[in-house]
Amino acid sequence: MISLTSYAFVSMMLFSIGVIGVIARRNIFVIYMSIELMLNGVNLFLVTFARYHFNMDAQIITVMVISIAAAEAAIFLSVIILLYRSRKSLDTDIFTTLTQGEKS
Amino acid sequence: MADLIFIALAFLAISGAIAMIVYANPMYSALGILITMLSVAGMFALLNATFLFLVQIIVYAGAIMTLILFILMFLNIKEKDLPKEPNKYKFMIIGAFIMIPLNILVLKAVSKLPEKDLTISNTEFGNIKPLGMELYNNWIIPFELISILLLIALIGSVVLAKKRKSKLNDKGEQL
Repeated sequence: MISLTSYAFVSMMLFSIGVIGVIARRNIFVIYMSIELMLNGVNLFLVTFARYHFNMDAQIITVMVISIAAAEAAIFLSVIILLYRSRKSLDTDIFTTLTQGEKS
Repeated sequence: MADLIFIALAFLAISGAIAMIVYANPMYSALGILITMLSVAGMFALLNATFLFLVQIIVYAGAIMTLILFILMFLNIKEKDLPKEPNKYKFMIIGAFIMIPLNILVLKAVSKLPEKDLTISNTEFGNIKPLGMELYNNWIIPFELISILLLIALIGSVVLAKKRKSKLNDKGEQL
């Protein structure tokens, strides 16, 4: 018997692993994927409660979250291309200074 | 039967997520999160959300992850370009300790709710037609705003990624 708690456990695990990834990693790609993982966990929670209450509003919010994630992906990847062109690195500690830096 | 499928999907989702934050190479991380997204799509199907099942596979696994893999291959990242992460596991343990209270709170609150049947129902719930009717009748303004947002993101990414000429010459003087 699949209960509400087991779905809640899976979505909270996904969300927590996303937070741990943002805290622990320094690779900018992994941090972005962790944010996507957190969005996925919240989506799973929303869809679980949509089924629980038999109400479709939460599924529509999930559709909106997915479309905003798609827009975010496009912007993020163009910013990453710019950063990698100027710094030749994926380390978030190097991205903390906003000046142009020394030209290589 | 549905229980076994759920257990398999949950195992795959969590192990894919752990693989994503453990591997040093971002290519393996992308493949790990791909497994997680497909498993979450399977859970949407178990929860009667047919349309979201399709959208999750097409948009997340199909579009976003393909874009990330494309950029990873496009940038041609070498092993020496990857950031050194000597304290990775220490920070992971710290993060796990930070997240434990929130997990306990949410799971306690959810387990107090009355049990309801969450199995697949034979109604129209979650199909494309009722979802579309709901979207176009009650959520029309957010829907239009989302379309404007997508247009702005499209223009913004094109403007950001195009090559621009520097306004300074080699000696740092204004042209």
